[in-house]
Amino acid sequence: MPVFKLCLKIFIKKLPIIMIYVSLFLVISLLIAGATKTDREKGFVQTKTNIAIINYDQSPLVTGLINGLKEIAHIVPLEDEPSTLQDALYYRKVTYILRIPEDFTEKFLAGDEVWIEKTGIPNSIDAIYVDLQVNQYLRIAGLYKSQSHIDSAMIAQHIQKDMENETKVNFSGGEEVQQDQSYAMFYYNYLAYSLFSVLILGISTIILVFKNQDLRRRNACSPISAGSSNFQFILANGVYAVICWAIMVGFCILFDYKNSNTPNTLLFLLNSFVFTLCAVSISFLVGNLVKNQDGISALTNVIALGPSFISGVFVPQEFIGENVLKIASFTPTYWYVKANNTIANLNSFDMDSLRETMGYTGVVLGFAIAFLALALVVGKKKQLSQEA
Amino acid sequence: MIVHVENLVKRYGELTAIDHLSMDVRQGEIFGLLGPNGSGKTTAINCILSLLKYDKGIIEVFDKPMTPYAYDIKKDIGIVMQNVAVFEELTVYENIDYFCGLYITDKIQKEAYVKEAIDFVGLGDFIKFSPKKLSGGLLRRLNIACGIAHKPKLIILDEPTVAVDPQSRNKILEGIVALNRQGATIIYTSHYMEEVEQICSRIMILDKGRIIAEGTKEELKNMISLGEKISVEVFGLSEAHVKEIELLPNITSVTYQNHTLDIKSHKGKNNLENVLDYIRKNGINFGTIYSEKPTLNDVFLEITGKELRD
Repeated sequence: MPVFKLCLKIFIKKLPIIMIYVSLFLVISLLIAGATKTDREKGFVQTKTNIAIINYDQSPLVTGLINGLKEIAHIVPLEDEPSTLQDALYYRKVTYILRIPEDFTEKFLAGDEVWIEKTGIPNSIDAIYVDLQVNQYLRIAGLYKSQSHIDSAMIAQHIQKDMENETKVNFSGGEEVQQDQSYAMFYYNYLAYSLFSVLILGISTIILVFKNQDLRRRNACSPISAGSSNFQFILANGVYAVICWAIMVGFCILFDYKNSNTPNTLLFLLNSFVFTLCAVSISFLVGNLVKNQDGISALTNVIALGPSFISGVFVPQEFIGENVLKIASFTPTYWYVKANNTIANLNSFDMDSLRETMGYTGVVLGFAIAFLALALVVGKKKQLSQEA
Repeated sequence: MIVHVENLVKRYGELTAIDHLSMDVRQGEIFGLLGPNGSGKTTAINCILSLLKYDKGIIEVFDKPMTPYAYDIKKDIGIVMQNVAVFEELTVYENIDYFCGLYITDKIQKEAYVKEAIDFVGLGDFIKFSPKKLSGGLLRRLNIACGIAHKPKLIILDEPTVAVDPQSRNKILEGIVALNRQGATIIYTSHYMEEVEQICSRIMILDKGRIIAEGTKEELKNMISLGEKISVEVFGLSEAHVKEIELLPNITSVTYQNHTLDIKSHKGKNNLENVLDYIRKNGINFGTIYSEKPTLNDVFLEITGKELRD
């Protein structure tokens, strides 16, 4: 396999330049990923809000209401002074104040119209939630009172019993809440730039070397068939691409091993591998188009950096203008990043959930096939012109 | 026959680069293809190696038709291209090792051949050098080593001494003769007539894609009327003297410039003696005298009417 070995030797000679890209990628990945890591909830924990209750009715019914509210809120003791209560609301010491009048239970059981006074912070979700609990308690109490003539203690007991029955809530699509994929998402997005750079630099350089007419003719004089030579050439480039990909994704798994044991990681790997194929195709095309090493360096910057800027590698797609994203959608990087963003938010892994991700990855694969076809046409055309 | 070419025609659009070329290269000879730049030497070589498609003709190597897929033929051919074809990314050793590896699969044998080739071209002190760091002469030697390392039966050298210093040139020419002595048949193309004359056993002269002469160097020189060229350094020669010298036997042309009298004559004995007798009898002072036989350039000049280096 002389051609295969030769390609690997040339890759190794280019290693210092390639390592600069890889090292830079790893350092930036670590720095930025560390800075952008978000603290996501790893489960649902009920929080309690602070409320105050000014109670002038010590009946069992009201005591039951207060006990019920204690389950969802902290009761803050406050004096019944208007200024104290206003300050408590203003400074968010409490979000909700409930005032229960002295004859509340009596009037309630007699069927008279009764009022309890409530004061809450405007538009506060916490206050609305407490409000709902109070209304629910009183509605159930009203229900028991209308059905039978029972005293307030009995009503309170029934309500307590009823409210102890809770409905179990499951998160749809998974029993466990997803693990944090924000680091992986950033890492794999940034991979688009680094992988592109490294592959174009390596593969295009090899193609440029072999494209040299004198060397091509010299090799054509040898007893190695064109088929075998091409096979060895493609194999070497494939090995190089897979090694680059494996090293880069390997570091992600190493850095983020706690969150890597998920189906999301498999999808990230699949998506990045398909993107690697696309980058290889583009590298083939670049190698066939450029005439010297300077051209490769220039095109590496344009092809790797340009789409990365407009496709959401460095700046999230949410912050990029619609028109820019429309332009970006003509590049594989855009679809690759879109797929990564979708994968990061996946909790369910059935076909319906995966359809969107697979669609984006499919577009990247389409780009890979198109660029490969283009590279083969350009390469063949140039070869034929040399043989004529 | 090692190489047999019959009525080869290669056209580039309107231009006929090779015009009905026929040639036979016999085993064990150094066959020279001589011609000015653009005469079709490299095109002919590229056609023989099936690197170029041609319009018409038959090419056989080792008595088998030569095609791009004739790998059993290619394994016995060594090629040294006109342009140095080596990998700049590899060292001297790695280059020779790669090209030898295209032909030799046995690792131990390959290593031995590579070492032999390095010794043969005298690059032992430069094996770890990048080709970029080699001088023009050393680079040419590397190019040769890459072409001959696998010990081929037929070696084709296409202008291997272009832009090479005289010392390296001599080394290369000596090497080619040594390879021939070791049993290799050699096709050597050049536009340097001295080189071809020095090492080739048979020579074909090309011009504008056509054969203008073929044979051994003696046969070629016998084809022309020029027998001898005499140069005499003389002082104060008159126009009348020049005209009288022109009338001497066998003399075909006489020129006198910068105190040098150039005389061309047909083949024949005593040409130099007749000229010297005339000079002595007329009391003309003279200095250095040269007499030389016709060169291949004279052959080319007489047949085409132009210098070989035109």
